Amino acid sequence: MKAQYSRGVLGVSRSLLLAIYSLFALFPLIWMIIISFKSDAEMFTTTFIFHPTLSNYYSVLVGTDYLKRFLDNLIVSVGAVIVSVIVGVPGAYALARYNFKGRESLAFTILSFKFAPEILVILPLFMIYQKLHLYDTYLGLIWVYQLITLPLLIWVLRGYFEDISLEIEQAAQLEGYGWFHVFQKILLPLIMPGLVSAGLLAFIFAWNSFTFSLLLSGFKIQTVTVASLRYVASDTVHYGYMAVAAAIATLPEIILALLIQKHLVRGLSFGAVKG
Amino acid sequence: MAHIEICNVKKKFKKTIAIDDISLDIKDNEFFVLFGPAGAGKTTTLNIIAGIAFPDQGYVKIDGKIVNLLEPAKRNVSMVFENYALYPHLTVYDNIASPMRSPTFKKDEAYIKQEIERVTAILGISKLLDRLPKQLSNGQKQRVALGRCLVRKPNVFLMDEPLAHLDAKLRHFMRAELKEMQSNFNTTTIYVTHDYMEALSLGDRIGILNNGKIEQIGVGDDIFYRPANEFIAKMMGEPEINILEIELVQEAAKFGLRIFNMDKVFELPRDVEAAFRRKVPNDVDMGIRANDIEISISKKSDEYIHGTVYSIEPIGNKSVLIIAVNDIQIRTIVPNDFSAELDSDIYMKINYKNAIYFDRNTKAFIFRHENEDLSEKVI
Repeated sequence: MKAQYSRGVLGVSRSLLLAIYSLFALFPLIWMIIISFKSDAEMFTTTFIFHPTLSNYYSVLVGTDYLKRFLDNLIVSVGAVIVSVIVGVPGAYALARYNFKGRESLAFTILSFKFAPEILVILPLFMIYQKLHLYDTYLGLIWVYQLITLPLLIWVLRGYFEDISLEIEQAAQLEGYGWFHVFQKILLPLIMPGLVSAGLLAFIFAWNSFTFSLLLSGFKIQTVTVASLRYVASDTVHYGYMAVAAAIATLPEIILALLIQKHLVRGLSFGAVKG
Repeated sequence: MAHIEICNVKKKFKKTIAIDDISLDIKDNEFFVLFGPAGAGKTTTLNIIAGIAFPDQGYVKIDGKIVNLLEPAKRNVSMVFENYALYPHLTVYDNIASPMRSPTFKKDEAYIKQEIERVTAILGISKLLDRLPKQLSNGQKQRVALGRCLVRKPNVFLMDEPLAHLDAKLRHFMRAELKEMQSNFNTTTIYVTHDYMEALSLGDRIGILNNGKIEQIGVGDDIFYRPANEFIAKMMGEPEINILEIELVQEAAKFGLRIFNMDKVFELPRDVEAAFRRKVPNDVDMGIRANDIEISISKKSDEYIHGTVYSIEPIGNKSVLIIAVNDIQIRTIVPNDFSAELDSDIYMKINYKNAIYFDRNTKAFIFRHENEDLSEKVI
């Protein structure tokens, strides 16, 4: 009787705490979505009672080139992840398997790309990009985004490759599989959890990136993070528009995160071969 | 179904020499056992034959053709790895089917099913086909790895301690089964082990490796009765052979031996005595196995040497009795019902006919008494 009672209390208090936490965590998001439905007149009221309107959405989606920017962002981020996967998988494999001189230094150098604040390297990059005519091109942004996406992919996948014992590859070779088949049939399935989670995390980082796209593009190509800034005019700040831009910009991330939530944590924390 | 040769192969890993100038000639359909302590270079030798490791020097030949530059996939060798190397994402069935699904050795699914049923029945893993490797015990994993190797018809089976993680009963059963299978299949097998019983019972011939060098190659009897040196004698047999320093004494133009600095001079078998006479060695060690020492509680004759009981360790159907004579410990075997107080007096008689003599300085084999009846019959 007593045990049952205490278990009930425990359950209730746990739910209560979780509810408080989720309110705390989600409140900014909720508030942003509420703002996106508010007219400018009601923007600064702090009550939850207002007259919902879609005018902000209409102005942003139809009145400006926001959708084009959304597409730009998608192209650049997906492109960056694809390039990172193509370069990173063999790179991670080499760092895990081959014993060459300066291996650890190279691995550390790749990781160190993530150390430097973006703003630190942006000026020289800006000059170089101007000279190479990479400024304001998809290729240029995809290239510079490798600083964000590649280290993550290489370091996660390197761990995965290291976990796969060399004998597994050798066994497959002895069974008559060529190099490509070994990779496709044995290695790829084993690194898949890591590849998916690191790839998606890299996508989210690239999607959210602001500094690089702010300074290395801006006319023909613009990412949503930069595009949202345009609603800060010299005379007034269109909070409603910004809320719409931000709300739509978070959509792909939320959808992706929910889809792979289970694999994300597993993929990043577990190795390839368990048991 | 191939004749495997290794010629003067050397392999270094950074500064350590794994294999130092090894040559082996493994005949078609032979069951060849590579035996040696950990780190002797057994696995490296297998890897070089498989093509996973490249020799720094020397050739590997399969059926007379040099295959140094042939990829592992094209050598048609089947290997059991010591750490099983099962594919973690595939079920037992798919693991075993994998060699029959590869582009090089492709078979149709009906054949695959039939082969898997055959092999898994022998190995006793028919019920595990749907499991993933992580759901298996080590012994089961090892049997799956063995199954994956045995479904093929390769040039040579390379087995790296394939029975090491099975329990004793299963190991005995699998040992017999492997021997049977090998003679049915007519396939060359190279089998790595550090278990001397496995080596003696399975091997048509045994090659003994130590520190990357071949110490001796021969049939089981050769290795056991005429080991090339003290190291091999110590590796073979349980409990370990007793290596005792002896002194050769010449009495009336005949050699005898003194042991434990005793006054008594023991007589040597005729052929051993003759061998010593032909070439007088300087310092001699005598190797005597535990079961060639007879134990008695009383001194039945003056051939019995006095010692004290140092320890008794029962090992199932018999006990290992260690006797101390002048601070030298002698391992002997006694029946299970034997009992004696520690430090009590005990007498032992050495059967000098079965002793093996070594050079104390080089540790190399000198001579042993051969069974005269047998040699006369042969003549």
